[in-house]
Amino acid sequence: MLAELINPYYLQVASFILINIILGVSIYITLSTGQLSLANAGFMGIGAYTSALLTLNFDLPIIVGILAGTLLAGVFGILIGIPTLRLQGVYLAIVTLGFGEVIRVIFVNWESMTKGAVGLSGIPHMGRELLNTLKDFGFDPKILGLQNNQFVFLAIFLILLGVTISIIAFFRRQNRSRVGRAFAAIKLDEKAAESMGINITYYKVLAFAQGALVAGFAGALFAHVLAYISPADFAYHRAVEILIFAVFGGSEVIWGPVFGALFLTVMPEVLRFISEYRYMIYGLIIIIMMAVRPQGLIDVNILNWVKLKTPKRRQKHGTSSQKSI
Amino acid sequence: MVLQVKKASKNFGGLSALSDVSFSINQGEIFGLIGPNGAGKTTMFNLITSMFTPSSGEIIFNEDNINGLKPHLITKKGICRTFQNIRLFPQMTAEENVMVGEHCRSKSGVFSSVFRTKSQRQEEERIRSKANELLEFVGLGGFAETVSDSLAYGQQRRLEIARALASSPQLLLLDEPAAGMNETETSELFHLIKKIQEQGITVLLIEHDMPLVMKLCDRIAVLNFGKKIAEGTPAEIQNNPDVIEAYLGSEEEDMYA
Repeated sequence: MLAELINPYYLQVASFILINIILGVSIYITLSTGQLSLANAGFMGIGAYTSALLTLNFDLPIIVGILAGTLLAGVFGILIGIPTLRLQGVYLAIVTLGFGEVIRVIFVNWESMTKGAVGLSGIPHMGRELLNTLKDFGFDPKILGLQNNQFVFLAIFLILLGVTISIIAFFRRQNRSRVGRAFAAIKLDEKAAESMGINITYYKVLAFAQGALVAGFAGALFAHVLAYISPADFAYHRAVEILIFAVFGGSEVIWGPVFGALFLTVMPEVLRFISEYRYMIYGLIIIIMMAVRPQGLIDVNILNWVKLKTPKRRQKHGTSSQKSI
Repeated sequence: MVLQVKKASKNFGGLSALSDVSFSINQGEIFGLIGPNGAGKTTMFNLITSMFTPSSGEIIFNEDNINGLKPHLITKKGICRTFQNIRLFPQMTAEENVMVGEHCRSKSGVFSSVFRTKSQRQEEERIRSKANELLEFVGLGGFAETVSDSLAYGQQRRLEIARALASSPQLLLLDEPAAGMNETETSELFHLIKKIQEQGITVLLIEHDMPLVMKLCDRIAVLNFGKKIAEGTPAEIQNNPDVIEAYLGSEEEDMYA
């Protein structure tokens, strides 16, 4: 029964949606202090390669590899975040895009380590490793009425789902706190924020590092879900794709890039014939969104409208329909 | 003495915005800084709050030299300001704006916020109730949930004062708080600034509304072309020939005008 419903292909698509959602969150975090960073594809690559190389060459457990990849990406986030503090808007975007390219070129050329453009294959697969470990304890997926293959993809999906929900919950809570207010204040008026006693250097680098950590984490997960990575996975296209999640979905609220990632990952899968023209469509989306809805599809007003339509969470006073952030 | 400005100068390239300006402000007084447009009043505010570093001279706050300190540390030391052209956080509610002002008097970090530790929750509660008290104090009691953008102009000015007060300043700098206000609003502002003084907060005020300045200030310094041309009580300033000349022009100038 259950077994027939679990289709590995759908589960794999769902897993990529979740990874893309995490990437969408990563660009949202840096954007929430008003910094547009296109380095997240690069940070993703750092996370992916670090984790892959550690698990391949040193037989470290996957979880150690993922943690190391995430942390290294975070360290790079701080290293890039500090010198680019003085840059704003399009200048920051160009520098961070350049950083991403530098990272990719290093992956291509450091052949002794990264196997160059060929990429790394045979990376320990998160689901299979988990299955093997469980089998050592005498577990057999047949107990659940599942094939090995189904269990592997289901396990990955559930792990990623848990991780994604935790990340979103983490940043939603952060947003509603002193730290989130500082982020928002910096985004809205940096000078005013500074004169209200907010250490803008600290918070801007913090946001940059958090974005890098999350992107590195997504990259490390990506490596162990796909089991194969190459520099092309972290190229310019990826940077643009992550940007589109935020442009299309919106970057005012965390649900914007989440929705953007969801929609834009599902679309090419559902409409197969579109898939080839994906980047053309991305270009169109940018132009249309800039002209019609620069804040993205999901903004504060839409969220409030949804809340009003949801009976149980109805707000107490009439005036609070204007409440923001 | 709360604040001492000693021979402060500021040059922008070849232009001297302020030269050798000195004055000092006593604890608890309302000190006015007046002068024609372009006299360097806002530049002086920017020096005191370290938005600019002085080209020469010293600024001393409570015996500490605060030259070159980062602006957010100045706020932490107890100096906070409002802006000539209102700079609220437009999409935030009034309450959130004031809560941002309390940033330097609170300390929850990322992890206590995410895990909602007990101390973080108590701090949030304290910040929120203080923000509401301050909104009440400036007369914006019913507007906590209103987005600051949609407040009336005079209300935005008062919200900015509440936000500055939220940082618990010892010295409050007000940059033309009455600009664009009608008579009723100006008189409310007068009472508000008096109330702030009663709380023991020292006020440094830039203002063009002369009747307000003369009623409100204990002492006044007058700037013209980046130089201090007079200092004294409102009565002294009103009768000072240099001040009259700066504001009304000299007789010779009139002859050729």
